[in-house]
Amino acid sequence: MAASAQSTSFLPPGHVSFERERGVYALEIMRGVAHAVIEVGEDAGRNGRILRVFSTLASAGVPVFLVKMHRTAVTLAFTGADCDKALAALSSNGLKVDIRQKLSLVIVRAASMRDLHGVMVAIADSLFAAGARLHETGDSHNSVQCLIDESRAAEAERELCARFDLPPEAVHHFDVATECA
Amino acid sequence: MMNILVQKFGGTSVDRAEHRALAVRKVIQAREAGFSPVVVVSAIGRAGAPYATDTLVKVLKDIDPQVPPAPREMDMMMACGEIISTVVFAHTLQTFGFKSIALSGGQAGIITDDVFGNARIVEIRSNYILELIAQGYIPVVCGFQGTTDPSASTEHGAITTLGRGGSDTTASALGAALNAVGVEIYTDVDGVKTADPDLVSKARTLDVCSYEEVAEIAHQGAKVVHPRAAEIAMDHNIPLWVKSTFSEAPGTRITSTVPAETVGRRLTGITHTGKMVYIRLEIDNAEHKQQVEREVYRMMARAGINIFLVTFSPTSLSFCVPRNRYPVARDLLDGMVVPVQHTEVDTDGKLATYYIFKFSEGLDLAYSVQRPLLASVEKFTDIVDVPATVVESCTMVSVIAAGHRSVSGIIATIYEALSNAGIAVYQTADSEMSVSFLIPESEVDRAVRLLHAKLFED
Repeated sequence: MAASAQSTSFLPPGHVSFERERGVYALEIMRGVAHAVIEVGEDAGRNGRILRVFSTLASAGVPVFLVKMHRTAVTLAFTGADCDKALAALSSNGLKVDIRQKLSLVIVRAASMRDLHGVMVAIADSLFAAGARLHETGDSHNSVQCLIDESRAAEAERELCARFDLPPEAVHHFDVATECA
Repeated sequence: MMNILVQKFGGTSVDRAEHRALAVRKVIQAREAGFSPVVVVSAIGRAGAPYATDTLVKVLKDIDPQVPPAPREMDMMMACGEIISTVVFAHTLQTFGFKSIALSGGQAGIITDDVFGNARIVEIRSNYILELIAQGYIPVVCGFQGTTDPSASTEHGAITTLGRGGSDTTASALGAALNAVGVEIYTDVDGVKTADPDLVSKARTLDVCSYEEVAEIAHQGAKVVHPRAAEIAMDHNIPLWVKSTFSEAPGTRITSTVPAETVGRRLTGITHTGKMVYIRLEIDNAEHKQQVEREVYRMMARAGINIFLVTFSPTSLSFCVPRNRYPVARDLLDGMVVPVQHTEVDTDGKLATYYIFKFSEGLDLAYSVQRPLLASVEKFTDIVDVPATVVESCTMVSVIAAGHRSVSGIIATIYEALSNAGIAVYQTADSEMSVSFLIPESEVDRAVRLLHAKLFED
């Protein structure tokens, strides 16, 4: 996925505009994401099963993201194109997996995201208004990533653009689709 | 063609006469190599040194610890450290026989917005500095500061500071404004390292890395170049170097071009950051969960508490807060009541559900006061506890791995290494550029060494 380029326009010599805007400056929507919930239990074998999940997917050549640890499960995302491969590999290794498809990863970009207060509540309010259930989130220093149903992505885009005052050119779409059989 | 080279020297490069002499030598070398140097300096020394920024701030704060200084006056005070440093550096250059001139941020034409303490550069009026260069001067500019527009109707010409990493930001911005051939950031290490050299003796210096990588490394805790400076250099395509004042090592070149030999994933380094507290809230109602979560976010936002590593499960919400903000977060959440109105009266005649947050025994003072008060409405409402469990003393170890989302295996490798060493992993986070693991703070040194050995030394 390409990082969104910040538009910078040079003013006449001696008058240059420099820094990135404070706050949210772009939205990226990655369509065709799958999300897996893989049971790992909470007994003494949990760690071993988590490791089995990661090594199985690595051996199958499935890159994963949005990896989260839960009390009895590991959840992670991959592209729809890798869905069949992931399901086959995990199942054949005796791992109980539940895959949700037709999801969109909505990535809200801001410079120094972790220094901003209130972005998460603004995003949550927007997604709630769009009727989009948040299946998982991720965050980094310059983004908050939200996994929602693809069917709500367009409405979520509208709400988020309105909330953060983003022009259409600040929105970028990607497609990593091809669903499981 | 002026062939301008911006050279920035940090606090440890200008704290002593012998260090300044070494820094001045770098400037003279640049001049002798045919460049027109523009120098940017930080305040002299670090915390505790007589003219360090922290020392100056303490002078103000000590007047009455109960009354915080006004941001505007605070910025004026903080700017003094760089002014002293600039004058000393310029005079040192003069003693070596070079025409030099000290410039405050405002004199160098750096115009910022009026957010005191964390101002953003909106413009650089470079005519004066270009004129000085044309006259053969070596301008020495105060890092970390600017002024608001002198023609603005409010806060005209007020001194502002740029916040953390401000001197790096000044250097990058000047590089862009002056169309410099490069910006050199001089520090006390000889470039961008694969890990903190204080922790990992085998940490090696990177010859080259991308703007995105160095910004990620900086954001994830390594003190190399401030991410704002990297972003300015990236947006304006200014070549950036990180070098040591104290050696002749070539340093690290930071550029937009990824090394040719790199295909797919590229491992750049290991960083660690932050003292954190991990909070997990059990919200056992799928229908109301999103509304309850929103109120948690809202409360944290109102208190100015940043939350991160947010994680959902069908019955819980988990997130991290900085440890220094945890007492506030706990006090706000414990006993907090979130009422959710039912769309219709349920079969038990209940009109709403009240969710009340409860921290563990001993930390649930507000809960223990609030909960009995809700007894009076129990006839019409469901009262549901939201228990909170807390893991204190966590920290985040990150592996900077550009492209890891398109190549499998990195998470498996890291998890296996940590797991085999018996290091608990509470949570993970990943972005396009990095993979992070939340682990016990007590294990951070071991984890960094272990991962460095696994990923960079094997």
